Amino acid sequence: MSEIVLETHGLTKYFKDKCVVDHLDLKIPKGCVCGFLGRNGAGKTTTIRMLMGLLKPTAGSCAMLGCDCEDLTPAIRQRIGYVTEGHRLYKWMKIGELEKFQSAFFPNQWDNKLFNDMIEYFDLSKKQKIKHLSNGQRAQVSLALTLAPNPELLIMDDPTLGLDVAIRREFLEGVIHLITRQGRTILFSSHILADVERVADRIVVIDKGVLKADCTLEKFRSTIKKFIITFDKNIPSDINVEGLLHCRSDGNLLEVTVVNTSENTVKNWANSAGAKDFRQPALNLEDQFIEFTSPVKKGKLFDWEYK
Amino acid sequence: MALWIQIISGSDEPIYSQIVEQIRQAIAKGELGIGEKLPAVRKLASELIINPNTVAKAYTILEQSGFVATKTGSGTFVTDPKLRHHDAVDINALSERFDSVIARGLSLGINAEELISLFNNRVNKFLKK
Repeated sequence: MSEIVLETHGLTKYFKDKCVVDHLDLKIPKGCVCGFLGRNGAGKTTTIRMLMGLLKPTAGSCAMLGCDCEDLTPAIRQRIGYVTEGHRLYKWMKIGELEKFQSAFFPNQWDNKLFNDMIEYFDLSKKQKIKHLSNGQRAQVSLALTLAPNPELLIMDDPTLGLDVAIRREFLEGVIHLITRQGRTILFSSHILADVERVADRIVVIDKGVLKADCTLEKFRSTIKKFIITFDKNIPSDINVEGLLHCRSDGNLLEVTVVNTSENTVKNWANSAGAKDFRQPALNLEDQFIEFTSPVKKGKLFDWEYK
Repeated sequence: MALWIQIISGSDEPIYSQIVEQIRQAIAKGELGIGEKLPAVRKLASELIINPNTVAKAYTILEQSGFVATKTGSGTFVTDPKLRHHDAVDINALSERFDSVIARGLSLGINAEELISLFNNRVNKFLKK
């Protein structure tokens, strides 16, 4: 196993009596790009804020680059890039002033050329004031400011939130640029799974503060499957398929979603239960994520049947 | 620019397999000739805006099935077709892809013989390209 650059041990956070992060055990190896996924309120931002030392854990601990997150030294912080949700920057400064301000924290490691190239590529001018920039342009400035010190570890909290599709693609281009340099590690949260699939090679899924998955993207893609099984007459009353996530039925059709169960296992169960047809519809990452994190709901929000 | 490879975001087909499929097709159509060099992993990754490991995985799969070979230090090249091989799993996966076409054809009222002749025409047209 390669070197671990980010880890949490039983990391837990309560806000009053509400548990937001629940005994999180994570290990992110060096050089991997990890998509940090979870629904709204799952505890992603809270986890990231504890990693950055901005929030004190209620219990447990976390460490980055071998240093406990509650005592990150300036020298360690210089090796970590952090992009906050919403890209909050000093509004009264011009881009050039912000560059001067930020670069002072990173003597000997600020890549002037990279910063200038990115500002030019994004069609920005150093004379522009932050308060006159759009949301997307602020994200671009924020990315340029974060990548210029050439961080070893990059933590981004939903960096593409609210950006239009073209700016999002440019943002990803910047991130890919960083990845193609050896040994860079990235943890980023996002709700746009098509982006995650492009950039990440590993994913972490949390749900209500609890770790649900921590594996390679490929593993996740191959582990959640859906099957549609047709029965001759009635569907069996007892659906005891291994790793069952959800099941729904309609007449003699049964839809089952399983995690970590092979096609053969489901097929054998179906055959023994008297199935006459068996097929596996394709799922994309978004479908899989929804299957994986959505609770089974009774009834529907809307009734589409006109009476 | 490797414009002949197009990635569809959010597809149910994983990105690495989209790359494998498109390179295989380019080789089958002769758009990538024997001995031709594939783009470098990092270069293709930044052009397609995807993780370099995904490109590397696609190249590894192509290499395992004999479509390309890597020469250390100089890159990845298209191999001679005589050196390629396929196994039962490949054949099976290929056969399954016919199913949707067959189902569509039958539902349009096209019979088995007509389907086979359509298929043959298509194969001949492809080989002529």
